[in-house]
Amino acid sequence: MKIVFRQTKLLMQLFIASESLFFVALIIAYIYFRNFSDTWEASTNYLNVKRTAIFSIFLFSSSGTITVAKYALENNKRKLLISSLILTILLGATFVFGQVTEYMDLYQQEVTIDQNIFGSAFFTLTGFHGFHVFLGLIILTIYLILTLLDVFRMRDPSSAFLAAEWYWHFVDVVWVFVFFIVYLMPLL
Amino acid sequence: MEKSIYHIFRSSSEDTDIMNELFFHFFIAAFIVFLLVAAFLIFIVRKYKTKTLEKDHFTIQENRLTERLTLFLASVLVIVFLFLTVKVIFKIQKTPTEDQKPFVKITGHQWWWEIEYLGDTLFTANELHIPTGDKFVALMESADVVHDWYVPALGRKIDMVPGVTNFVWIQARDPGVYEGMCNEFCGAQHTWMRVEVFAHEPKEFDKWFQAQKEDAVEKPDSLFQKGKQLFQDKVCANCHTIRGTTAKAKVGPDLTHFASRNKMLGGKAEVNYENIQNWIKDPQKMKHGAYMPNFLMTEEEINALAHYLYNLK
Amino acid sequence: MKLFSFEVPEPTEALPSIKSRYGILQWISSTDHKQLGILYLWVSLFFFLVGGFEAMLMRLQLAWPGLQIVSPQTFNELFTMHGTTMVFLVLMPTLIGLATYFLPLMIGANEMAFPRLNAMSLWMTLFGGLLLNFSFFAGGAPDAGWFSYAPLSEKNYSFSSGLDYYSIGLIVTGIGSIGAGLNFVVTTLTMRIKGMRLRKVPLFVWMVFINSFLILAAFPLLNAGLVMLLIDRQLGSHFFLPNTGGSALLWQHFFWAFGHPEVYILALPGFGIISEVIPVFSRKNIFGYTTLAATTVFIALLSFGVWAHHMFVAGLGNPINTFFAAGSMLIGIPTGIKIVNWMATMWGGNLYFSTSMLFAVAFILDFTLGGLSGIAVAIVPLDWRVTDTYFVVAHIHYVFLGGTLFTIFSGIYYWFPKISGRMLNERLGKWHFWLFLLGFNMTFFFQHILGFMGMPRRVFSYPDLPYYAILNLISSIGAVFMLIAVIIFIYNIFKSLRTGELAGNNPWNAWTLEWYTTSPPQLKNFETLPDVTSLRPIIDWEKQKAIQKS
Ligand code: HEA
Ligand code: HEA
Ligand code: HEC
Ligand code: CUA
Ligand SMILES: [Cu+2]
Repeated sequence: MKIVFRQTKLLMQLFIASESLFFVALIIAYIYFRNFSDTWEASTNYLNVKRTAIFSIFLFSSSGTITVAKYALENNKRKLLISSLILTILLGATFVFGQVTEYMDLYQQEVTIDQNIFGSAFFTLTGFHGFHVFLGLIILTIYLILTLLDVFRMRDPSSAFLAAEWYWHFVDVVWVFVFFIVYLMPLL
Repeated sequence: MEKSIYHIFRSSSEDTDIMNELFFHFFIAAFIVFLLVAAFLIFIVRKYKTKTLEKDHFTIQENRLTERLTLFLASVLVIVFLFLTVKVIFKIQKTPTEDQKPFVKITGHQWWWEIEYLGDTLFTANELHIPTGDKFVALMESADVVHDWYVPALGRKIDMVPGVTNFVWIQARDPGVYEGMCNEFCGAQHTWMRVEVFAHEPKEFDKWFQAQKEDAVEKPDSLFQKGKQLFQDKVCANCHTIRGTTAKAKVGPDLTHFASRNKMLGGKAEVNYENIQNWIKDPQKMKHGAYMPNFLMTEEEINALAHYLYNLK
Repeated sequence: MKLFSFEVPEPTEALPSIKSRYGILQWISSTDHKQLGILYLWVSLFFFLVGGFEAMLMRLQLAWPGLQIVSPQTFNELFTMHGTTMVFLVLMPTLIGLATYFLPLMIGANEMAFPRLNAMSLWMTLFGGLLLNFSFFAGGAPDAGWFSYAPLSEKNYSFSSGLDYYSIGLIVTGIGSIGAGLNFVVTTLTMRIKGMRLRKVPLFVWMVFINSFLILAAFPLLNAGLVMLLIDRQLGSHFFLPNTGGSALLWQHFFWAFGHPEVYILALPGFGIISEVIPVFSRKNIFGYTTLAATTVFIALLSFGVWAHHMFVAGLGNPINTFFAAGSMLIGIPTGIKIVNWMATMWGGNLYFSTSMLFAVAFILDFTLGGLSGIAVAIVPLDWRVTDTYFVVAHIHYVFLGGTLFTIFSGIYYWFPKISGRMLNERLGKWHFWLFLLGFNMTFFFQHILGFMGMPRRVFSYPDLPYYAILNLISSIGAVFMLIAVIIFIYNIFKSLRTGELAGNNPWNAWTLEWYTTSPPQLKNFETLPDVTSLRPIIDWEKQKAIQKS
């Protein structure tokens, strides 16, 4: 069984490395256009930094709760595992909800993906991040359901949780960068 | 005139000379490398060939000498040619100084060339006329997709990238006609986006230039006048310019001195009465995909238009 | 609780055939690496015929000036689909397929690390390919060249839905390839048999291993570019539209930052095959094992620093051009060392010229020519002369056909006995080889000259300048020879599958682990394996056996 664990670790490391490059490419595009576009400055004013910062905190704290879940799994605490999983999912969902409100706001101010190059770069970058969060939520939900059904015996060294956890941290870290580049850098 | 072989080594400019020289040097080097590999390989094959699949094996044989030798020789080659590369590109693609003002601006369109003589702001299309002598700077732009300017005898090739202004040095030492083409795939009719460059002695060039600056000719005969009228009425004027008339649009090529040109439609056809007729009759048949619609005109109208255009010397 | 088990499924039964009870169903649902490998090979053969057919149509149209066999629009679709198909649906799946089949066998494993991921990769590749080709029936195939330069690939200039199929199809196959890359790395790192340290791994495995990192690093860049293109086309964003704030050059950077590593992705496993075939048919150890592995690492690293050599004429400026020219030319050094090492392997051996070996030797020569023309275009001023002429088309085909395709043919003649249990007919093989070699050089050698004569690529016709017609005709006739050769090859496969000579475990007296098991291997590759102590395990074990007997 140990080898599966090792393999999954490796797989996730490589997958995350590979997937990061995808985001690196989108970020490069974003920065490239920021430096070469003249309509850019005006558009960034529409972003709601404060609200997004608050919703980001939800996402960042979900990284904490999933660590709690891991602790619970390792120490055979079923209830704690379930509750921390649910909390993680809720926190993640709140973040997605935050993104949706941000998008709706921008939409009302007529900042859309086809409006100008800022819109294109912004929605593509944050959209793909949001999509990854969304996938993560699905993965966590599946894991939660399987746990509720007791498909996983406790203390199961099964690598499924490891994969989900690492993926979730990855999504978080990407947001650290995206948030910094999209929201904080214009303020500096 | 008997056509001579068309090849990229024909040179009428310093830049092309330098590039060709480098080309031949590399060619010789590459040929030697290839011969060495081939000779070595043939030697081995002939010497060690057997008829049956043997079973026994040699032990490991490692002789680092061959590896080091290759490393050394290949490195020397790379260093030499990198050095030459740098030398040549900095010579050819020199940034123009303040007083080296660009002479023309060439804009690529799907699938024709717009030519603007800067300073005097004269617009022509599809044929470049230049004076022989020193090199000059040409600006390169694109109106739609990526095109590429390449007239081998006169210098390097350069892309026309939308949103970017590139420059290139052009020079023709000898008078003559130089063939070129669009070299970057740019859509359905990329094939027929060729160009001819006419290099004249400076005096001749001035003559040509003054003639081009004139407005389009006027002729009193009725067919001509009818054609002129039709050109306005039949929306041709929505896309083309004919100086001296009210046609001022720039969607298609400038036609002020259209009949003075040698070829039309990016080298697809000679400029003659018949081809003009055919083109107006059904543009899509002559150059499928070209951005000029079929106006479904009567035989009479076509004749008048063709007559008009063919007289725009 | 049996519902979810995360163990590697250990196969138990014999390999199914189409005739067995669950035949086709079992193939479709299979997670066995050998079955998947075979499926990969069939998929690529199918697409090879499609791509080859497109090539033949192009050569027909170009055979003489002024022909009108296909319309200009169709011609553009043909070369776009030809290039895309050959790169993404022929060479990629063949190389991945051979690796899927042989990588586990060569390291003494029974399976890949993630069998289901393996199956997913295959089906994604096939599905993406079918999607791409479906565009022919859905209003028009992509028509902007295999690298789809923006803004020509944007909605304003390419109206049909072809490029949408292109984006989606390539994203789908790309994800499949990433899956395969992940699988190869993990398998190589975790599933080697006892005693097989990384320094005792066969070179084919080495090169696939390094190659997988290239896949993992390169494809995300393509995917990012493709999603931007797709969003541009479908949602009206502006990434690559210069007149509304986008940048045409950004696409070129994204595509080639992927595209150049991609061409090495298509070359390195081929180098691996050659490094297996040449020693066996020279009856000698590979010369410079470490160097061959190390130079591969160099090439892989360098390949990310050369992409702008496809953009030398885009006007990036002298310093940038110098940098990328240097990177490109440097790649000639490790590659040259490889060439010499392969020849040194043959030196002093007993060369047996099976068809496999013939292709390997032809590879060395033709790839050298292709590599040298590569260096020619890496020298910036020479690129300013010949880029986007037929010289580049010649370069492409010398490295892809003379390079990779020859290694693939070599590999197939070498490994077919293992896959099928029967030998490929050598006499037909020789016909295939000589006809293909002749046709290949006839078709593409003269394209160098056409390049010198200034014939641009991607043109559906050309003016009747002196010698254009005759050179193009020679080229087209050469293509016919290739066509005949390929038909012979396919006939050979089908005939040998049924009536070929039985192969036995180890027909070539080779020494890597895949030859230790039966041909074809059972579902479970190996029951037990002795310790691996050198690069030539089978020979070691035979020796040990002999000693024990005496
Ligand atoms: C398998 C695929 C493959 C391989 C291996 C290569 C190998 C190389 N390629 Fe090629 N290349 C392509 C596939 C490949 N290429 C494709 C598909 C395109 C066109 C894309 C398109 O536009 O459609 C292209 C285009 C292309 C261009 C752009 C041309 C243009 O569009 O203008 C350039 C420019 O630098 C280039 C360079 C090189 C170099 C330097 C190598 C080197 O790796 C070659 C190294 C090998 C050798 C040099 C030979 C052996 C060495 C010796 C015997 C030692 C001594 C020699 C010296 C040191 C000089 N290639
Ligand atoms: C793996 C890569 C690969 C392979 C194997 C080939 C194989 C061939 N290629 Fe291709 N080619 C490319 C990769 C490849 N090509 C790329 C990347 C481009 C650039 C595209 C672009 O510009 O965007 C290109 C472009 C290209 C052009 C230039 C088009 C242009 O710029 O206008 C030409 C022209 O001659 C050509 C010809 C051929 C020929 C004759 C073969 C032959 O070797 C094919 C031999 C195979 C067969 C002949 C198959 C046999 C088929 C059957 C047995 C079935 C027959 C069925 C019926 C007739 C019904 N190719
Ligand atoms: C929608 C715009 C449009 C309209 C309207 C139009 N043209 Fe054109 N025309 C073009 C374009 C674009 C080309 C360049 C085609 C090419 O070479 O690909 C062209 C080319 C030509 C040429 C050849 C010029 C050359 O040097 O190759 C002639 C002659 C011509 N048009 C005449 C006419 C006449 C006469 C009419 C009216 C009956 C007309 N055009 C209406 C867009 C237009
Ligand atoms: Cu313009 Cu090709
Ligand atoms: Cu390249």
